Amino acid sequence: MNFLKIALSGTVAAAALSTPAMAADCPVKVGVLHSLSGTMAISETTLKDTMLMLIDEQNAKGGLLGCQLEAVVVDPASDWPLFAEKARELLTVHEVDVIFGNWTSVSRKSVLPVIEELNGLLFYPVQYEGEESSKNVFYTGAAPNQQAIPATDYFLEELGVEKFALLGTDYVYPRTTNNILEAYLQQKGVSANDIFVNYTPFGHSDWSKIVADVVALGADGKKVGVISTINGDANIGFYKELAAAGISADDIPVVAFSVGEEELSGLDTSNLVGHLAAWNYFQSAESDANEAFVAKWKEVMGEERVTNDPMEAHYIGFNMWVNAATAAETTDVDAVRTAMYGQEFPNLTGGTAVMLSNHHLAKPVLIGEIQDDGQFDIISQTEEVAGDAWTDYLPESAVLTSDWKDLGCGMYNTATETCVQTLSNY
Amino acid sequence: MIRPILASLALLAFAMTAMAQDGPMQDVLQEHAEIIVKSSRTSIAPAIAAIAESRLPQAQDVLQAWQAKEMWQRTADGLFFRGEEIGNKTIRLHDFDSGAAAGEFTGSELEQIKPNSGIRALIAIALVQFQLSDPDPGKRADALVSIERDPKSAALEPLRASIEDEPDAALRAKKLRLERLLTIAFDEDEEARIAAIEEMSTDLGVDVRATLNPLVVSEIQVFEGKIPATRNLARALTPGSEALPEAEAYGLLVETGLAPARIGADAVRDILSSNIEGGTVGGVPVAQLNSDAARDRAYAELVEAGKAAPKLSEEEVGALLAAHQFAEIYREPSTAVTDAAQKALARIETMVGLNRAIDLSLDALSLASIYFLAAIGLAITFGVMGVINMAHGEFIMMGAYTGYVVQQIIPNHTASILVAIPLAFAVTFAAGVAMERLVIRWLYNRPLETLLATFGISIALQQLAKNIFGTQARPLTAPDWLNGAWVVNDIVSISFIRIAIFVLALIFLGVFLFIMRRTRLGLETRAVTQNRRMAASMGINPNRVNMLTFGLGSGIAGIAGVAIGLFAKVTSELGSDYIVQSFMTVVVGGVGNIFGTLAGAGMIGFLQKGIEWLNPSNTLAAQTYMIVFIILFIQVRPRGIVALRGRAAGD
Repeated sequence: MNFLKIALSGTVAAAALSTPAMAADCPVKVGVLHSLSGTMAISETTLKDTMLMLIDEQNAKGGLLGCQLEAVVVDPASDWPLFAEKARELLTVHEVDVIFGNWTSVSRKSVLPVIEELNGLLFYPVQYEGEESSKNVFYTGAAPNQQAIPATDYFLEELGVEKFALLGTDYVYPRTTNNILEAYLQQKGVSANDIFVNYTPFGHSDWSKIVADVVALGADGKKVGVISTINGDANIGFYKELAAAGISADDIPVVAFSVGEEELSGLDTSNLVGHLAAWNYFQSAESDANEAFVAKWKEVMGEERVTNDPMEAHYIGFNMWVNAATAAETTDVDAVRTAMYGQEFPNLTGGTAVMLSNHHLAKPVLIGEIQDDGQFDIISQTEEVAGDAWTDYLPESAVLTSDWKDLGCGMYNTATETCVQTLSNY
Repeated sequence: MIRPILASLALLAFAMTAMAQDGPMQDVLQEHAEIIVKSSRTSIAPAIAAIAESRLPQAQDVLQAWQAKEMWQRTADGLFFRGEEIGNKTIRLHDFDSGAAAGEFTGSELEQIKPNSGIRALIAIALVQFQLSDPDPGKRADALVSIERDPKSAALEPLRASIEDEPDAALRAKKLRLERLLTIAFDEDEEARIAAIEEMSTDLGVDVRATLNPLVVSEIQVFEGKIPATRNLARALTPGSEALPEAEAYGLLVETGLAPARIGADAVRDILSSNIEGGTVGGVPVAQLNSDAARDRAYAELVEAGKAAPKLSEEEVGALLAAHQFAEIYREPSTAVTDAAQKALARIETMVGLNRAIDLSLDALSLASIYFLAAIGLAITFGVMGVINMAHGEFIMMGAYTGYVVQQIIPNHTASILVAIPLAFAVTFAAGVAMERLVIRWLYNRPLETLLATFGISIALQQLAKNIFGTQARPLTAPDWLNGAWVVNDIVSISFIRIAIFVLALIFLGVFLFIMRRTRLGLETRAVTQNRRMAASMGINPNRVNMLTFGLGSGIAGIAGVAIGLFAKVTSELGSDYIVQSFMTVVVGGVGNIFGTLAGAGMIGFLQKGIEWLNPSNTLAAQTYMIVFIILFIQVRPRGIVALRGRAAGD
């Protein structure tokens, strides 16, 4: 079979070169690279199901370029090096046209070299620490300026917080985010003495000392707020200890960047009411598109299931990709990439998401208060904020910019006006 | 024909105006409609003030409804109402002025006004004047909390007025305390403030420190000539001292306009480059400007030509500094008050230090009891029987999940915990017995194989738990009476759940001692572990004893699981979080002795908290240092803190 293919392609090579790159082979294959086992399974399985639902919907509408879409699902098993292997498998064995996948930053970093070497196309749906822009990746989750910075502004302006406790789990995302926030707060005139930073291991449960430290910050009469990049289950012990210490969200508000509907589902949220989370989407957003999306999701997956921010990111990313491929009349990676710039698609919160030439989206930032039913009450919604690959608040990356459309470079130094590098091996 | 139309139009117009002016409160709201809808803390103040000062009887209701997110705006005409949700997305509106129902609407015809917690706090402050003497004690408590959160001078008089008639003793005490704090911060009478400071100087509350600390905030100021006696001087500073380096002092002079800015090397370069004329600057060719001396020469030329400001010499700077007085000046103008505050703070600080130490000890004790509880089962299976059971942590996890499942069936939290504890023991006892029968008994005296086999079982059990319950943490909710904390003062406090774990650990210590020393099983266990053959020849069935002992150790691990699940979380990785600490506790304490385990848990708990105290910003590093210390400790005392001697020591 393979031999036949090679022979065939050899004989018709000239002909193939001259014919326009129309949808060459049906069906169009969509790779889904999410962990279905291991620690990340619960979060990522949801995204796999989201992708299957979106692909089914698209097929019901007639598919893409006259072809049916076919999902190729692989399981990288929460094993970061395996992500690279599976990405290679998707691109070389299954020859998929696009990949939707990854959750943790470390798994994305593992996939980058493969996807750049083989010129694949990846849509990454999770909020992350920024400081990256690959030619072959579209980042549909939030960059720090679309989540962390607006949430900090909200603390400063709306809640009048003067002293900050930056609590995080000890790995790349919290550390990078907190570095950015520390620099940002100091630029905003918060003295270094008023910023308290603490890192804890994954799954940390002994929070009494840290909570006592945070409470003690209030001794000089300044209002204290906590910015939490605590990930996963450690959050539960943290909120329990806060509640046990009798601290309500009105005394010391906590804004979390990694706590969403999925994480709250099945949890007793009575301890958490009033605390905040910052995302680009909440299930409680009021729009017709969101109502339809939530209804469809519950119909497919069950009444008790919830939607969350990375799901919306996949929803936007997938639809943009479909529109870009339709506009380019091909699923060829370079053609689709060019057609992606400036793609607009209505997001589920009522506005319009735009794909920028730095491969990030312009999306609104929402801040929600946790309610006792595990949903969020949206109390603040900004205009669309353009995602910034390189933060403006760290001196070494403030001079960097990413523009794949005009400059053709994801790491362009505006001071020296040179492209630092086009590969993402940083 | 036209007449009826006109009439109806007139009627309509009348209705419209009637709507627009159907109450004085609605008018106030409409006047500030824009900022109410915008809902930002920075701009909302006028709206809140207008409502609070409207002197309308309904002001309190409006503010309370607004604060409780019960205010809705009708999209059609922009009027505000109190809304009450009655079932699926239908809201019944009530007029603020008349209180009458204004019809039912669906969510799409209305806009909910959602104040954020910053705005809610502002509303709460405005509500204080209404609530301080409210008949509802809950409302009065709310008012006090809002004053506490944002003390304002305006609150002092109404608060004083309300103390007299306060019937509730607890609230009265709280009001008196708040009155003292507000007196310190805002009273006009210096004597009264000093008296209040002295009165509160034995109080450890964070709020007391939060009131006193702003009184002693000082800033560095510069004076021409002598420092006026009216200023509240903290200390005089000399430029060039450690507290005030010369550069900083001169910067201050520049800032206050008392001296010209110094021209640094960069500024010189900028000025030179902007004065290039035909390839030369001040007569010096540009190509020669590659040394400081050359640049200075060129700059001097420019100064002479009047094209640049003269550079100040060191002597001139020194003279300028000497001509001025620098001092740290308190923001608080009254010297007597700052002195009293300094004294009170010094006194409080010593006590705070002492109480911190007590609090840290309590934390350490609590952590020790958690480790002890996690390790006590292991003290039996590993300490007494010598089985290296890597799946011990998974028995803890099983117990926690049993608690979770019971809570799904029995919704009452107290009853469910009471059921969960024996059930967790039963489940893990059975699992322990099964494991002993199926795996471990074939591997006695082969520690390496036991380790590998039980490690495999541990991974299998974790994956099983992931398959059944998923990887997301599951809630195990403590009963209400275990919520909250035992609060001695604002520094020393410990949550009830930790106290309960401490008590549970003590109970299990007792149970362990009782079983080992007073029961037949204990006697037989000790006999079998000391000499299996001899025990067998005395009529003891070693297989049965081993099975029961292992089951007992596992069962206790299950109960520990319920306790740990209550204070932390229930996940499939719960066990592996504690397995290392458990082995460490048993090994450090001394294998085979329960008091050793107790000492080991105590040492690890105190050590970890001590290191965390030294290095507050990285808990992970604290744990690493602790493990390094433990390794070193084991080198010095390989048999642990309490080493067994004689025959009991076995090998």
